[in-house]
Amino acid sequence: MCKREFLDALRARLAGLPCEEIAERLAFYAEMIDDRIEEGMQEAEAVAAVGSVDEVAKEIIAATPFHKIAKERVRPARRLVAWEIVLLALGAPLWLALGLAALAVVFSVYVALWSVVAAVWSVFASLAACAIAALPAALFFAVGGHLWVGLAVLGAGLALGGLSILAFFGCRAATGGMLRLTRSFGLGLKKCLMKKEKRQ
Amino acid sequence: MDAQLKRGVLDVCVLAAIKDEESYGYQILKDMSPYVVMSESTLYTILKRLETARMLTVRTAEHNGRLRKYYRITESGLARIRAFREEWREMMYMYRFITRGEREDV
Repeated sequence: MCKREFLDALRARLAGLPCEEIAERLAFYAEMIDDRIEEGMQEAEAVAAVGSVDEVAKEIIAATPFHKIAKERVRPARRLVAWEIVLLALGAPLWLALGLAALAVVFSVYVALWSVVAAVWSVFASLAACAIAALPAALFFAVGGHLWVGLAVLGAGLALGGLSILAFFGCRAATGGMLRLTRSFGLGLKKCLMKKEKRQ
Repeated sequence: MDAQLKRGVLDVCVLAAIKDEESYGYQILKDMSPYVVMSESTLYTILKRLETARMLTVRTAEHNGRLRKYYRITESGLARIRAFREEWREMMYMYRFITRGEREDV
């Protein structure tokens, strides 16, 4: 792939970011490619060295703050005329309410998923607390003359301790999974907000 | 390495690359490459962040018929490097305590 093709493809992938941001990024990559060519690399080799268009675009989108992408998305492509502004204002109770409702639904689902993670952690905490409490309880029963009861309580405590260790790994996996989901969701939302390239 | 910690360290690495004289993007990557491998995107983000924090200044100059950006460290950037060296001196004392009596490969 030549430098021009790389930059054109990257520009298309970055459509939706603010124009100044795209221009600066492209200038940066053009400079990097030119410096490698000046050092003796072939153009295709220099382009390959900076990474594929997909990788580079993904890194740039991930590094761009969400508010910049959202601001660019809501900015109208052209100046609005008077009747459009009036219509927008009159329709605000409808589109604003629908927009807020949609956001509320998405946020509720997100909170519900985290609630599941919190519940799993609660199970772990309960199992661990019971396992720890079983030790003094077992001692109490054993010293009080109820040796078999004490041993049974100790056995139950050890079993709960084992379960709590298993639960811990489950909690860690669930938390890690939710964090990865959050990152993917953030990236997916950014990509949704960015304008799609018009097919020519 | 912790992501936040690595981010802070990489910032100082870039500052160290321009500590003695101004440099440009590709040269910064080359100077760092024996120690740290970094993508162009990461370098761009770091340079932008350092410029916003006024730890470096940027000038554009013509080079062989094209434009190239040169980055120069500021007093604030030098102070950041000094602060980092002090922080790591303290970190090394703690590291020596943690690994005292252990074999090198542990």
